[in-house]
Amino acid sequence: MANKDKGTGYRFSKKSSGKTYSLVEIVKSDTTMANKGPDNTVLAFPIVAILELIIALGSTLFLVLFSLLKNAPLEEHANAIITTDPAKAPWYLMGLQEMLEHMHPTLAGIALPTLAVLFLMVIPYIDHSKEGSGVWFTSERGKKITKWTAIYTVIVMIAFVVLDNAFPPRELLRDVLPNLITQSLIPLTVMTFLVLLPVFILMKTTKERKPTAREVMLVLFTVLFFTGIVLTLTGFLFRGPGFHLYWPWDMPNGYNPFDGL
Amino acid sequence: MKNLVQNIMEKVVNSRPWKAIFRHGWPDNPLDRSLIMTSNLFLHLHPVRVNRKSIKASYSMGLGIITTVMFTILSITGIFLMFFYVPSTELAYFDIIKLQTKVPFGQLLRNMHRWGAHMMVLTSILHMVRVFYTGAYKPPREFNWNIGVLLFITTLGGSFTGYLLPWDQLAFWAITVGTSVAAYEPLMGKTIKKILLGGPEVGQAALTRFYALHIMVIPAILFILIGVHIWRVRKDGGLAATDIKDDDMEAENGE
Repeated sequence: MANKDKGTGYRFSKKSSGKTYSLVEIVKSDTTMANKGPDNTVLAFPIVAILELIIALGSTLFLVLFSLLKNAPLEEHANAIITTDPAKAPWYLMGLQEMLEHMHPTLAGIALPTLAVLFLMVIPYIDHSKEGSGVWFTSERGKKITKWTAIYTVIVMIAFVVLDNAFPPRELLRDVLPNLITQSLIPLTVMTFLVLLPVFILMKTTKERKPTAREVMLVLFTVLFFTGIVLTLTGFLFRGPGFHLYWPWDMPNGYNPFDGL
Repeated sequence: MKNLVQNIMEKVVNSRPWKAIFRHGWPDNPLDRSLIMTSNLFLHLHPVRVNRKSIKASYSMGLGIITTVMFTILSITGIFLMFFYVPSTELAYFDIIKLQTKVPFGQLLRNMHRWGAHMMVLTSILHMVRVFYTGAYKPPREFNWNIGVLLFITTLGGSFTGYLLPWDQLAFWAITVGTSVAAYEPLMGKTIKKILLGGPEVGQAALTRFYALHIMVIPAILFILIGVHIWRVRKDGGLAATDIKDDDMEAENGE
C-alpha cells in the first residue's frame, strides 16, 4: 500500500505528501550573520598590526619626548613634622579632596564615590537595549542631550563651588543647626537636586513618550563626568596655600600646582 | 639584486626553523594572513577579518591600546627602577636622588615611569568615556564594561601606591591626605586605614605595604583583568562599531 518516490526510492504511506523535511520551529535569535549587512570586512593582517604598531610607537615617542622635556618632581625628604601647604592628593583624587571642602568626609569621601562606582557598574543593566550600540551619542537627540547637560553641569558645579565657598552653611549655621544637617543633609540635598534637575528637564522635554533608558544614562553620566572635571580642576588648579581659592597664575608663596604632579 | 633577495626570502620562509616557529608561509596571501592570526599567541587576540568600521580612527581613537601600551611601558621601566630602589624610609629618597644623578638615563627612566602613569590614568578615563558615549557597554558587552570599571579602579590603585615610593614631602602628604579619607568610612574605615598603612600613620610599614602592592599585587591584577578585558572584546564580537547596520552607515556618509 505504499507509494514509492521515483527520485529517492523511499516508501511513503498514501496519505503522506512525500516530504522528507519539515519545519519544526522558528527560533528568534542572532546568528553570526543575522541583521548584518553585506560583508564589510578586511583581512586583519597586516592593517590592524600596522595600526597598533603606529599607535604604540607614537604614544611611546610622545612619552619619551615629554620625559626629556619635563622632569618628575622630587621635593625634600619626607617629614611627618613639617606639613606642606597645601597638602594635596594626586590629581585624579583632587575631585574628592575638593568635595571634602564642601561636605562631611563620610559623604564626600565614601558615600558619593561609592555611589558613583555603583552607578557605573549598573549602567549596562539599566540601559540594556541594543539600539545605538557603536554609534556616538546614539542619535542627534542624544548629541543635543549630552551637549546641554555638559553646559548645565559646568555652570552649576562652578556656581556650587564658588557659592559654597563664599557662604558655607557649615560655618554660617554652625550654632543654629546640628552638624548632621549643615555638613551632610544640606549638601546632599543640593547635590541630589543638581543631579536630578536635568533628568527632570529631560522628562518634561520628551514629548509623547518616556525618555529612553539611554537618554537618562546620557544625562547622568554626563553630569558625573563633567562634575568630575570641574571638581578635579578646581582642586588641582585653583586651590592654593590654606586650600583657599586663587587664580592659578596668581598663587601666593610661589606655589605652582603643576609642581605637584 | 631583486632576484637574490627573493631567493633568500624563499629559502628562509621554506626552511625548517621558520616552519617550526611560524607554521605558515610569508603573510602575503589570504591563507597565510589568516594563519598568522590564528597561530601566533600575540596576534590571536585579533580576528582574522575585521570590520572596516571598527578600525576607523574617529571611532575608538585607539585609547584602549594606548592604555595597554602605557601599562607595558610602566612594567618595563618599573622593573628597571626596582634595580636601583630599596623601599626603606632611610634609603628610598636617596636611592631616587642617586638614580637621577648617578645612573645613566636614570632621570629619563623615572620621568617615563611618572608621566606614563599619569597618562595611563588619563587614557583609561578617556577610554571609559569613549565607550560610554558610543554605547559600547550595551549587550552583549555589559560584563566587559564591568571589567573595565574594575580596571579603572585598579589603575588608580596602582598609581596611588606608586605615589608614596619616592618618600619625599609630596609623596608623604599626598598619601596622608588620601588615606585619611578612608578612615571616614563609618563601619570599617579605621580598620581599612590601619590595614593599608600597617600602623596609625604613614611610616615604614606603609612604605613596605605600598611597595608590595605596587610592584606585585596590582600589576598582577591588572595583567589578568587586561587579559580578560581584551579576550572579552573578541568574544563579544569585536568593537561595538561592528553593530552599526550598513544602511545607517550609508545614510551617515550620504551614499
